[in-house]
Amino acid sequence: MTLKQPPRFAVLQLSGCAGCEVSLLNASEWIDQFDLAFMPLVTSAYDVPEVDVLLISGGVRSDEDLHNLRQAVKRAKKIVAVGTCAISGGVANLGNRDEVRRLFMSQTERHDLPRLLPKSQPVDSFVEVDLFLPGCPPTPELFMGALLGPEDFVASKTVCQECGRKKLKDMKPAHLTGSRGGEVDPEICLINQGYLCVGSSTRGGCRALCTRPGHPCVGCRGPSDLLIEKDSQAWLESIQRVFAAMTDIPAEEIHEALLSPQLSLFLFQFSDYAGTGQPPRPKEKVL
Amino acid sequence: MTTLTFPLSRIEGHARVEIEVREGQVISTRFQAMEKRGFNLMVQGVPAEQMPVIVPRICGVCSTAHHVAAVKALEDAYGVEPPPLANQIRELLLLGQLIQNQATSLFVFTMPDRLGVQSIFHITDEEADTAAQFNIAKRALMVRQLGTDLITLAGGQFIHPVKAVVGGVSGGIDAEKADAFRKRLRAALPVACELVDYYWEISLHMKDRIGTWGDDQPAYYISSTERDNPRYNSSIIRVMTPAGECCREFTADAFRKELIFEETDYSYAGRTSYQGGVIRANSLARANMTRRMGIRRADAYMRRLRSEFGHPAHPILLFDLCRGIELVYAIELASQLLEDDYSHNEVDIPYTPRDGEGWGLVEAPRGPLIHHYVIEKGNIAMGEFIIPTVHNMLAIERALRVAAERYIHDDQVNLELEQAVGRVVRAFDPCIACATH
Repeated sequence: MTLKQPPRFAVLQLSGCAGCEVSLLNASEWIDQFDLAFMPLVTSAYDVPEVDVLLISGGVRSDEDLHNLRQAVKRAKKIVAVGTCAISGGVANLGNRDEVRRLFMSQTERHDLPRLLPKSQPVDSFVEVDLFLPGCPPTPELFMGALLGPEDFVASKTVCQECGRKKLKDMKPAHLTGSRGGEVDPEICLINQGYLCVGSSTRGGCRALCTRPGHPCVGCRGPSDLLIEKDSQAWLESIQRVFAAMTDIPAEEIHEALLSPQLSLFLFQFSDYAGTGQPPRPKEKVL
Repeated sequence: MTTLTFPLSRIEGHARVEIEVREGQVISTRFQAMEKRGFNLMVQGVPAEQMPVIVPRICGVCSTAHHVAAVKALEDAYGVEPPPLANQIRELLLLGQLIQNQATSLFVFTMPDRLGVQSIFHITDEEADTAAQFNIAKRALMVRQLGTDLITLAGGQFIHPVKAVVGGVSGGIDAEKADAFRKRLRAALPVACELVDYYWEISLHMKDRIGTWGDDQPAYYISSTERDNPRYNSSIIRVMTPAGECCREFTADAFRKELIFEETDYSYAGRTSYQGGVIRANSLARANMTRRMGIRRADAYMRRLRSEFGHPAHPILLFDLCRGIELVYAIELASQLLEDDYSHNEVDIPYTPRDGEGWGLVEAPRGPLIHHYVIEKGNIAMGEFIIPTVHNMLAIERALRVAAERYIHDDQVNLELEQAVGRVVRAFDPCIACATH
């Protein structure tokens, strides 16, 4: 009997911040279980070889991104879109606003460099994706989950369930605290403290790593399974219901805050919001 | 004319080097940033108070520096002074970033150049030549993970931290967690020293093989670390002459008066110079511009550096050795700082936002990082990011020319050139995502 070869994987980095790669380096368990065939951040290699799994991070921002993406997917058995940028364009969506696109286009042309596409696009605008791994970035644990088999990954439905802060019935803020709340109580639900936390509708799996130390969830993991196949309006309404039940904050105040850039960065999985014209991502394909 | 193109890997982001050669003469060496991020455009109209959460996404490697610089720029605009405890927690955050970055640059980016391998993940234990190579990838990742874990401890999230807020930080550090982490740092310190010692040794071998530590000329140095001891949550930028004299001190808002910034048509990143002279930022600049590390083990390495290379030291491969000194420093100091109590409540002060202009400065692993915001009606009307890598652009290109001239003669190109290009660029540890923000 021959020894089974460890599965080979590659990491293709398009336009992004490399935070996903940094997170993957924290998940050092893969060293023993996988053969890393290509990841320009850490290996000298210039072409994606034949691999079992291709992780793609970053959005499609330039003609070179698009070329590299199309070449790479031909050599991979399984395609995983990793992180907010690959799934939605992420923070680059701030650059897709009309007034900002005009600024981008008015920049001087550089010669002999990749040309920027008119908009940043998610990976699945161009190629078929087998698995979406949202998170900004996904945690090392989530990376291992994606590599080892998403079916075995155990997580709560929402960030809220993983957070474990106490929800109080009699602590109803009248307005959002904004970012000037002073010290955050370590035990009590952030919504009770007036923070715009969207952990109640955000998919679990991150183990609530932001909300536990006191920062409201901005929803980088995207919507939970209950909402992911719906449109962004369903998400907005779901958050509104939570705040209506737990606070006395006027609905208009919540609505306005939900559409602020910090949160809308992560509204990506709703294809109607990202403006890609894609159908919603099926929940079976999202870890 | 012939153009030689070298794609680059084992650096942050997408870049390449182009060398133009005519009749055996090197005509130009260009370092090209190949991607465009454009955060200065993307943040237009964003509510100013959201900047500390948005701007870490400029770069997942340098996110902590951007997070803290954003908060400091807003504090400058609002006229807020955070309490001392918050400043100390921010320093811990930046030490976490330093550990993570220097370990990545040393072991993941540049160690393969010294060992002649594709990556440290391609040295199996069966193939390890020496005991020092045994399990090297795991030990290196263990050390660098201390950095991300310290960022998590002090900053909430592990890549894009969230805990620095205008007026301070959003919470202290739990005493039990601090103690447990301090023990981990203590246990890891000898491992880090072993790796740094080994790195130093293989760097010496490499120097013997190639015959140089980098024979580029001296340059100006720029850093915002303090004169007597390192400090990364910094306030003053200093410039040092090639001869080693501090010739200029200025605050972040004087950046445009003090340095010349220009764009080029062949790269998505700009570049700066000081009175027409080439500047260098990053680890070697700090080592040249700080009297001592102020802590035992790191100072022992510093003494070794100074006795072997003098002061100021100029050869570019010393950037890498200095990263090793800083790695040891950051682990050693963080474990000492965590003996203090960070769990009490005076971690932030109230403030009132207002329109205006603010500048935020930190010493990032790659050098002084400045965020500059103009705030109108609570939104960002102008966001400017002055990135340390941009200070090194001319220095990189000049060092590339020296390397090219060393390996190109009479239309003969020595194959070592490709390795040399990689070594030169990696010595400066450029960050392209940041440089093109």
